[in-house]
Amino acid sequence: MTVLSRSWSRLTLPGKIVLTVAPILLVLTVGLVAVIAIFGGPILDVLAANLPIVRFVVAATIILLITVPTAFLIIYMEMKIIALMNLRIGPERVGPWGSLMSVTHGLKVLAKEDFTPTGADTVVFTWAPVVVYLASVMSLLVIPFAPGLFGQDFNIGLLYFFAVSGLGVVGLLMGGWSSYNKYSLLGGLRSAAQVISYEIPLTLSVVGLVLLAGTMSLNTIVEQQAGWFTDWYVFQQPLGALIFFIAATAEANRTPFDLTEADSEIVAGFATEYSGMRFGFFFFAEYVNVFIVSALIVTLFFGGWNAPFAWPWPVELSADPASLGVGLLLLVAVVPLILTLVFATPFWLASSRIKGWQALVIGFILANLFIVALVGGWAYIGLDWVAGILWFLGKTYAFVFTFVWMRGTLPRVRIDQLMDFAWKWMLPASLLNLFVTAAAIVVVDALRNGR
Amino acid sequence: MSFVPGLGIVRGMALTLRRFFEPKVTIKYPEQRAEVAPKFRGRLQLLYDEWGTLKCETCFQCAQACPIECIDMGGIDTRGRYHVHWGPPETYGERREESALRRSGRTVPDQAYEHFEPLDLHSIDAILEEHDHDPKRMLRIMEDVQGVYGYLPVGALKRISETTGAWYAMLYGTASFYGHLRLEPEGAARGGMASDEAATRRPTEAAFRSDLDAALVGRTPGDRPGAPAQA
Repeated sequence: MTVLSRSWSRLTLPGKIVLTVAPILLVLTVGLVAVIAIFGGPILDVLAANLPIVRFVVAATIILLITVPTAFLIIYMEMKIIALMNLRIGPERVGPWGSLMSVTHGLKVLAKEDFTPTGADTVVFTWAPVVVYLASVMSLLVIPFAPGLFGQDFNIGLLYFFAVSGLGVVGLLMGGWSSYNKYSLLGGLRSAAQVISYEIPLTLSVVGLVLLAGTMSLNTIVEQQAGWFTDWYVFQQPLGALIFFIAATAEANRTPFDLTEADSEIVAGFATEYSGMRFGFFFFAEYVNVFIVSALIVTLFFGGWNAPFAWPWPVELSADPASLGVGLLLLVAVVPLILTLVFATPFWLASSRIKGWQALVIGFILANLFIVALVGGWAYIGLDWVAGILWFLGKTYAFVFTFVWMRGTLPRVRIDQLMDFAWKWMLPASLLNLFVTAAAIVVVDALRNGR
Repeated sequence: MSFVPGLGIVRGMALTLRRFFEPKVTIKYPEQRAEVAPKFRGRLQLLYDEWGTLKCETCFQCAQACPIECIDMGGIDTRGRYHVHWGPPETYGERREESALRRSGRTVPDQAYEHFEPLDLHSIDAILEEHDHDPKRMLRIMEDVQGVYGYLPVGALKRISETTGAWYAMLYGTASFYGHLRLEPEGAARGGMASDEAATRRPTEAAFRSDLDAALVGRTPGDRPGAPAQA
């Protein structure tokens, strides 16, 4: 209780307002949903007539909401994994295995003073983190999470992605320029130089893939990689994938290219004058960017939501729970009991040292595991979006782990090394990749057509 | 190893991944205590009281407890008594050698011995012979020696230490503890703090000491140590 009251007293006035208004809004929303459910007929008709708009709004809202737990999860991963690699334990006090530590960090950032320096361009200063965050959220909109589970399927999805994620640079420059601080300005220009330099090899490395795929729609690109993992584009575009990975590391401002906001240096680049939640938004955007970059690598080169192998025994499940009617209710009521008893019996019979209640507890746990496995398996086989999102998130977080792993290992490069690498190595390599791919396509086409 | 571009990165990444799975070194302090060697006593340092004087009473208990006898005492104690010093400040290695000598039963050569005024040791040796060089009768030995010299010279204490095998630290502790034993000739000017000033600063200790002195009233040299004094 004291923690709550102390946190409350440390909130700024806007924070207090938000904290008061948010529950009221929540209640209002629930009431609105209830009203719609009761008098929903005509409203539903209007909504159904404008289904694409409704779909877009819902998708944007959901994506805006899932960025928050995603960022929390990645921040936690970063703290924990780097700690384990340093032979430390890392966060372990707040929540199970310290998993709520990043939430605490978020609250801490909320409770801090939101400071604007004298002489700063207040409007631009305030909007800079919003622009950075918006660029991240908007580029997440085109990423296909699973079959049928994406924000929007553009036929120019890849182009949209690069265009919108490039918008983040504007936010960084805004933050650096409006701070009225020469270090912020230098930091902003430095990060703009870095991000724009790496934008070029990043985009060029994908052109070869676009030539191969013949489309810029991310959904279609993923569908083309279905089947075994040998169909993934990484095996046709290894150099492209490598360049994309390195350039994406620089784009997301991750180690070894994290010069934009070099943590260990005293002056924090473009964010020098930022504090409180505005600073927090820059950080949130950075971690959302890590997720986005990983997701894009997976989507383009590692098969997206496709499983790495074709399921050898195609199973057709036509179980429709609704067809059972009242029987379903009975099933839900009785089956757990029966399963608990069934799993408890062998333990009870096996040893006289296991008491009846102990056997029942074991049976209950095993029955729950069994049911979860059953339902999960049914969902995995029966609903392809469940399987898709599992594979997609699994692969994506493998890449997030790689980014964190790199941060735990590699030292930061110098600014001249950074620029040299971008212009002298990455750019020629991506051009080479483009030409070789184009030539290979021409040759293969000529051979196929027998000319 | 030949130079392969990027090999260093791969090796570094492999190293951190190995570390990732290794057991961790962090100790969760309040719940979990580090295993410390039983003889570990932390860093040695002398503390000062709130008046800025050393809290050290020169009681030699630390020197007695030190298993390798690396602790040495020097300076003037809180009661302004004679300073105790065993020659030049010894280094740890020298002390260890000396300690090994002492443990092997041989007498320890003391370079500082000549610095003290020569002392006629025959009477001390006679007293020691009388008491069979028994360190358990130390109080009576000291009382007899004081009876001969009027006080306990440092050279006499060293002789007793050498022949009985008792540590000098123990002898000094015993001699400085009892009020009727003196480490300097009677009536000699005392440097440092006056004893009544010390008494006002440490009332509890002063009360204890006066009780002890009262209990030892009427005691003559040769009384059995530990016997209740006849009032």
